[in-house]
Amino acid sequence: MTRVTIDPITRIEGHLRIDVEVDQGKVNKAWASSTMFRGIERILLGRDPREAWLFTQRFCGVCTTVHALASVRAVEDALDLPIPINAQYVRNLTLIAHALHDHIVHFYHLSALDWVDVTQVLKADPAKASSIAESLSDWPNNSTKEMAAVKTKVKALVDSGQLGPFAHGYWGHPAMKLAPEVNLIAVAHYLQALEYQRYANQIVGMLGGKTPHIQNVAVGGVQNAINLDSEATLNIDRLYQMKGLLDKVVSFVQNVYVPDVCAVAGFYPEWFGYGKGVTNYLSVPDLPLDEKSTKFDLPGGFIPNGDLSKFHAITGQKDEYWRKAVTEDSEHAWYKSGGALHPWKGETDPQLTDWKEDAKYSWVKAPRFNGQPAQVGPLANVLVGYAAGNPLMVKWTDAALGKISSIAKVQATPAMLHSTLGRHGARAVRTAVLSELAVKHWQLLTDNIVKGDTTIFNPPTFPKGEISGVGFHEAPRGTLSHWVVIDDGKIKNYQAVVPTTWNASPRDASGAVGPYEASLIGNPIADPQHPLEVLRTVHSFDPCMACAVHMFDPAGNNVAKVKVL
Amino acid sequence: MKTAIYGIGNILLGDDGIGPAVVNYLFANNILGDDVTLEDLGTPSLDLPNYLTGFDRVIFIDAVAVDAPPGTIRLFSREEIIAAPPGIRISPHEPTINDALIVLDFAGGAPRDVVLIGIVPHTLENGMNLSPAVGKAIPRAAMLAHALAS
Repeated sequence: MTRVTIDPITRIEGHLRIDVEVDQGKVNKAWASSTMFRGIERILLGRDPREAWLFTQRFCGVCTTVHALASVRAVEDALDLPIPINAQYVRNLTLIAHALHDHIVHFYHLSALDWVDVTQVLKADPAKASSIAESLSDWPNNSTKEMAAVKTKVKALVDSGQLGPFAHGYWGHPAMKLAPEVNLIAVAHYLQALEYQRYANQIVGMLGGKTPHIQNVAVGGVQNAINLDSEATLNIDRLYQMKGLLDKVVSFVQNVYVPDVCAVAGFYPEWFGYGKGVTNYLSVPDLPLDEKSTKFDLPGGFIPNGDLSKFHAITGQKDEYWRKAVTEDSEHAWYKSGGALHPWKGETDPQLTDWKEDAKYSWVKAPRFNGQPAQVGPLANVLVGYAAGNPLMVKWTDAALGKISSIAKVQATPAMLHSTLGRHGARAVRTAVLSELAVKHWQLLTDNIVKGDTTIFNPPTFPKGEISGVGFHEAPRGTLSHWVVIDDGKIKNYQAVVPTTWNASPRDASGAVGPYEASLIGNPIADPQHPLEVLRTVHSFDPCMACAVHMFDPAGNNVAKVKVL
Repeated sequence: MKTAIYGIGNILLGDDGIGPAVVNYLFANNILGDDVTLEDLGTPSLDLPNYLTGFDRVIFIDAVAVDAPPGTIRLFSREEIIAAPPGIRISPHEPTINDALIVLDFAGGAPRDVVLIGIVPHTLENGMNLSPAVGKAIPRAAMLAHALAS
């Protein structure tokens, strides 16, 4: 029996820590913990609810936009305040652009190194790489010349004795299996992805006023003045500037990102067999299409035990099925345990002990849906969309499975998506769906503005006494919800139940493990000193844990420590 | 020379907010030329390269983990910043300034002239106030950024 701990220690900063027990080359027990107190919500108590979004978007540097949006939606829900349709479209477009940026970056700049061995690039034949890439899509930047230039760049890097951005990859690991040419394609697209994610980020900046930290939302709508005759506002020129950027991103997603994920999956079909974990899936509806947020372009719902036929729809923020189902449990978290509490009654009173695997071991609480753990994220989003029969989700899921089948020479089925690779595949599917919806919502906004509607804001008024609301958003990492209680116009309680809390959940009072913990069971570990396989599964969730401190450490302590006992 | 001054840090976590506080001070006192980009970047990660591309000179202001009294200011050169070796990443939060520079050195478009003004924090507990010793460093750090940008 071997115990492996992966702990990206820094002196002060807190992160995700993973402990696994390995027996005969396989994980048989796992624990996920957060090593930092997360009680940022307490800063909001007593404040004006109209300002909350300015603070909540500082929760996290990766997910600024999503916390701004969930916050205004929560306050609007408490007030039963509809928002103008222009405001819905502007918010939707902002959210989609943010998600496109985020998903591209996650795959190429965080996860790809789990599967790609950059040193193999030196053995690749650029002409052969070009012909493989061209067989996968019509993307114009896959020429032999392009591939040869990237190979030269990598050679210069290797010759310099350093691997630059790839230095932290597990290159040369026995679990690396891509052909040299596929490694070369991946590095070429890594470089191109840097450029295309930037276009998506620029769209967020154009709508949000700036990025990071958008300035354009408000409780009651948005602050993007619309005037077709003014240079300083949202006008036709700006809309077409955005469309130009959007078209580039859409093309990259559909012609590069989706085929690349299918190609990597095709080389690692065994990873459809690992990482299953918790198969209760939760996803909330998003991209509202009316002022009261009752119709959506992305469906939401809950799937128990991976059984798509048992899918239960969530119809909106007002749906009692959703509002009553969410609780958080602190039995194994470093808070005073008060049983499973609804977020409006949530408490955040620290009670730190040593790290104890059978008692308290994490700063993350255990969120539960009707008492059960649930996996959130793109896989939940795609499966819920698939179960609901959403045409775009069905189209792109079937297209991706078809492509994987032809590369891997196996029959890929939706059941295989309950896995480490399934989460990467689903993220690519979701990104492709969002790329189509981006164009749709751009058109909806443009048509509505051209029609002469320039309304962007309904002013909120706060009643005397207590009201409560929930704002949700299907964020890049999954279901995000902000729960607010307002008393006489001031915030009385505020809880953010974030996607990584669902997925990195510790055990609950009944002993049920969280999604990360469950997904690691059965993972192979070829070399406990280099637990690449653990990283593959954990990264597939796209963890975003350290909504936290960012301090420069000249001693280079942002290095994860792997400890084997 | 295209120049940017960026404050880095979380304003909800005590002295980690020193970088944004210095940026706010520079905004309020309006002492920089119009050609200098000034921004509170909060806690960026994998998106940081987007804010560096196209600049010749970037000055970061950030809390720094060195053993010195709170409020102490230390300067770090480009070489010192990228010398901190990148490690295994678990979440998109780990990559920071050094990773962004390393990525752009490989991909192209990295600023040549980079300096980090580091300020030693006293506490990183939840809260929106700076400790007195750290707050007192704001004008000094701002003047230093101003001098480095001219």
